[in-house]
Amino acid sequence: MDFAIQDSPEQTAFRVEVRAFLDKNVSPDIEHMADPCDMSFEQYQLRRDLGRALGAKGWLYPSMPKEYGGGDLSTEQIGILTDELTRIGLALPPYYDAGGRMGAPTILVWGTEEHKKRFLPPICRGEVRTWQLLTEPGAGSDLAGIKSTAIRDGDHYVVNGQKMYVGSSHGADYSWTILVTDPKGERHKNLSWLMIPMNLPGISVTPMDLLATGGEGGSGCGVKNAVFFDNVRVPAENLVGGENNGWKVATTHLEVEHGGMGRLADRRVVYDFIDLCKKREDGWAIADDPGAREELVNLYIESEITRLFAMRNHWLSHTNQPRSYEGSQYSLRRKLSGLDMGEKMVRIAGPLVLTKDKRWAPLRGSIEYFQRDSITSLHPGATTDIQRVIMARRLGIGGREREKAANLR
Amino acid sequence: MDLSLNDTQKLIQDSARDFVRGSCGRDALLKLDRDPAAIMTTLWPQMLEMGWTGMAIPEEYGGTGNNLTDVAVLFEELGCGPVPGPLFSSAVLCARILMEAGSDTLKKAWLPRIASGERVFALALTESQYGWTADNVRAAAKRTGSDYTLSGTKVFVHDANFATDLLVVARVEGGAGVSVLRIDAKAAGVAIRTLDGFITGMCEVLLDNVKVATADIISDGWPAAERAMLSVTPVLCAYKVGSCKTVFDMSLNYARERTQFGQIIGRFSRVQDHLIHLVNYLDSARWTTYEALSKLDNGMDATASCHVAKSVASESHMHACDYAHEVHAGIGVSREYGLTLHTKLSRSLYHCLGAPRLHRKKLESVLGLVAA
Repeated sequence: MDFAIQDSPEQTAFRVEVRAFLDKNVSPDIEHMADPCDMSFEQYQLRRDLGRALGAKGWLYPSMPKEYGGGDLSTEQIGILTDELTRIGLALPPYYDAGGRMGAPTILVWGTEEHKKRFLPPICRGEVRTWQLLTEPGAGSDLAGIKSTAIRDGDHYVVNGQKMYVGSSHGADYSWTILVTDPKGERHKNLSWLMIPMNLPGISVTPMDLLATGGEGGSGCGVKNAVFFDNVRVPAENLVGGENNGWKVATTHLEVEHGGMGRLADRRVVYDFIDLCKKREDGWAIADDPGAREELVNLYIESEITRLFAMRNHWLSHTNQPRSYEGSQYSLRRKLSGLDMGEKMVRIAGPLVLTKDKRWAPLRGSIEYFQRDSITSLHPGATTDIQRVIMARRLGIGGREREKAANLR
Repeated sequence: MDLSLNDTQKLIQDSARDFVRGSCGRDALLKLDRDPAAIMTTLWPQMLEMGWTGMAIPEEYGGTGNNLTDVAVLFEELGCGPVPGPLFSSAVLCARILMEAGSDTLKKAWLPRIASGERVFALALTESQYGWTADNVRAAAKRTGSDYTLSGTKVFVHDANFATDLLVVARVEGGAGVSVLRIDAKAAGVAIRTLDGFITGMCEVLLDNVKVATADIISDGWPAAERAMLSVTPVLCAYKVGSCKTVFDMSLNYARERTQFGQIIGRFSRVQDHLIHLVNYLDSARWTTYEALSKLDNGMDATASCHVAKSVASESHMHACDYAHEVHAGIGVSREYGLTLHTKLSRSLYHCLGAPRLHRKKLESVLGLVAA
């Protein structure tokens, strides 16, 4: 076994290449705001510029096939790329692109050749930003219970309804959307996925006032929205995976969303917090208190386990091995340990972690943001309860066959 | 990054699995639990034949020089039993202490005999002021003529009941630090008694003016011995991982078979939650353990990882057994069912090589929270 991303000579060369590329292409004007909701349009554009530069090399979606604009990179190379972006406080992709991140692998499995050629290259090259639209006011955990419809009318689908808790600040070019295509059809056999251009008439977007962004703070998603569809006419060829076959398609999408792909986790906030506690001012440091030290070590151990689960999933997925409960296990762990770490921080450092005041907030308020984000993160990509349900099914606890993980390739 | 087992490790895993299936069925293990001495006539000869006593010992000293991950793969399978006996104490822990701290003469004298299984070593460190640090050591050796005499009381010593030789940690008259002394377990003045209770393989060792040759004293050997202990800690953790795995499998199977209220209990989400906790503990122990091993075998700094692994594995092992008991209820505490062998072990090995609290304390220094 080898847990380290140990660079072979080729990998060292690749790391050097990545660093040189990032030195050249990451604008010095990129700011790392503690709260992604504070991201200005200019800041967003700087990240999109970087995305296009990465995309031109196939590095924005490095695991996607080259022929569709990806990079066909190896696990190690993706690790290096992610590593180097993390080092400078960015993620891959460097902006919120959930519809691309989860839609692209799903289209790769379920799309026709025409779909792949049309949708994947713009996503992989960073030319478009894509949201994912799943949740509705009446359908959160019970995704199959959505009500928004797409009814066939000639060579178009007419879309009506409302999606919630979606997207980011500063809009999107496309929305990867699940809708009811057969309102009278049987549950699970009435859904379809549409790639919807966001400039079509009848679409309106309203920002929501949430505690934080949740889930993907690192990729800077910003404000979540409600999206309303009022008789929006979407070309029929934008339906991917077959009409009324959407539940099957969703299993692939959800596999990615439930953590099946595994990300090499960023633990910056943990290290920053430990450093904060070690910082000595006027002869005093938070870590001087033995109780605080004990909690800090526990926090460190918690984050080590989370990192290793992510690493395992990353390895399983990038070496194309069978997975079962691991995706949901990681998701569950990330959510619960995030919450737990947030609480530990409150206990260790007191109100210091609760303020974003310019004078008093440590680390420009990033710890205060973590407090809000770790609570908000409990719901995106399925609640902790749903993650447990999936784990139980995959482990076969209920006596049925062990449910198989959806195909990601 | 490659988290899979290599071909050698797969072979080790296969042969260990065959051994556990063939010779360590539930009834056999329950019998050995009541009569541990029989281990040396039943399981031990088979372990020698498989070459397991030499795995952690370099070729120049009669072993096969396998790396720690290889050894851990074996111990994970043994933990699945759980297979009892002094294999870890002798051929891994004491062998490693001799390797790290011993003189060339001591290594040449004892490592080949540990590797061949002819001698069985155990580490006598802990005393009535229980702890796995040098501070807790009161046993002392006094100079008498050209040799020394050793006196003291060691307690909760793992596997001393099987031992032909003991490595005793003691203070030596005239020495600056804490030393490691080899004595014959049958020497005059040594009295070994197995302790009874909810405990697996632990003994009291009374040392009353035991003669020790100067050549058998590793003067100021503690720092090297402590390094050796830390580096084999993940192997012990792997044994715990194996035990957690069996406990999980037992619980899963039980939840799928046991019927109450007209349905299998695995349908109840309360029961599912126990199993989810269990698999989370299992995997936490597994991946922290194998990362530490990988760092050790690749010559990286593994200090923090070893502390994390022991802390996580010890806690996980106890919790895993607790959740298994929640799933199993009455049948779980019936000794003949076999679960309690694991539960007892999870308590008995919790402190072995340092309790989680000690390892977390050491992490405070490693993370720079206190001056090292």
